[in-house]
Amino acid sequence: MKTTLRITVATIALVLMLIADVPVLFEQLVPEAYAIFGVRRRARRRGVIVGYSMGEAAATSAEANQAAAQKQADAQKQAAAPPPAATGKPLPLGTVVSALPAGCTSTPVGGEEYYYCGGNFYRAVFQGNQLVYVTAQPK
Amino acid sequence: MRKLNFRFSTVLFALGVFTLAATVSTGVRAQSPAVDPAATRILKRMTDYLGGLQKFSVHTQNTLEDELDSGHRIDIDVSASVIVSRPNKILAERKGDLIDQIFYYNGKTLTLYNPSDKVYATVSAPGTIEETLDFARESLGLAVPIADLVYRNAFPLLMQDVSLAVVVGKAVIGGVKCNHLLFSRPSVDFQVWVADSGNPLPYKYVVTDTGTPARLSITTVMSDWNVAPTVSDSRFTFVPPPGTKQITFLPL
Repeated sequence: MKTTLRITVATIALVLMLIADVPVLFEQLVPEAYAIFGVRRRARRRGVIVGYSMGEAAATSAEANQAAAQKQADAQKQAAAPPPAATGKPLPLGTVVSALPAGCTSTPVGGEEYYYCGGNFYRAVFQGNQLVYVTAQPK
Repeated sequence: MRKLNFRFSTVLFALGVFTLAATVSTGVRAQSPAVDPAATRILKRMTDYLGGLQKFSVHTQNTLEDELDSGHRIDIDVSASVIVSRPNKILAERKGDLIDQIFYYNGKTLTLYNPSDKVYATVSAPGTIEETLDFARESLGLAVPIADLVYRNAFPLLMQDVSLAVVVGKAVIGGVKCNHLLFSRPSVDFQVWVADSGNPLPYKYVVTDTGTPARLSITTVMSDWNVAPTVSDSRFTFVPPPGTKQITFLPL
């Protein structure tokens, strides 16, 4: 009897809470979600990076992706690819690569350091925080 | 009787869950539209305090979550030490799996130096930290450690488009009791842990990209705060060691 009473009380309390709480929770969440989706859609259409921290996140994430991609590329290179230096053909000027091809030799031209391999001269530059190599015509 | 007890405990459990849900939702629902002034007040106290410091130095441990093309998630760790001397000097050193780099700004020029590659690039820079951080990001594509928090006007920048601000609770970061804050804005959630007593310094900062399914985060844990470091102005000027080669920045 005592137990039945307890169950009844608990159930009533539970039902009351459901009635009191759940609709409010939905009202709260739905406009919130609409607001966020609306803004995000607009932002994407405009093609802008939203927010400040986001810029930082995007920059670092891009950096990380680039590094990971490079590591994978390096791994693949070690596994399969022949040294590209001997067979390479000239790339368009201004082509950016994340690492020098194998077999490049350092060649100072007019006080600046160039790397020569596969018919291309490369110059080291910073692209954002990343050290990259860009094909160039020595002056 | 045993069966009844089982049912009773199930009901009690459900009751507990709903009470918890009610409490949590009350916490979030209390304000309209879900921006708790208590959270923004703590954030503002922190940014005002940092913005008002003439000099400070801090060590940061940064973890960048990343997803490989293979779908595996990895962390990339970078340690950074930052010295700021207002209004126009920054020295930031980053070491990690990805990077070995020092950023110098002395009020006139900005230098990026990779000690292990023995290369550096120097360009003339604007006259203040704020303008230089903007210039570095917008014209050179450079990310500078904890730039978000170094800005003197960090508060309005952080609060822009914020639709949710909550005091999650208390936590202890590196032995320091902190208030744990959560903020949400379109495509970005960020959490800040601010010291509960004494100087309102941040001890942890997490930015989550909620705009992509991977929901990757960048976590910065701060330690060794010094709000009055002794540092001579000459440290902010790069002097190339012998054998170091000057290179250029690729324009964006």
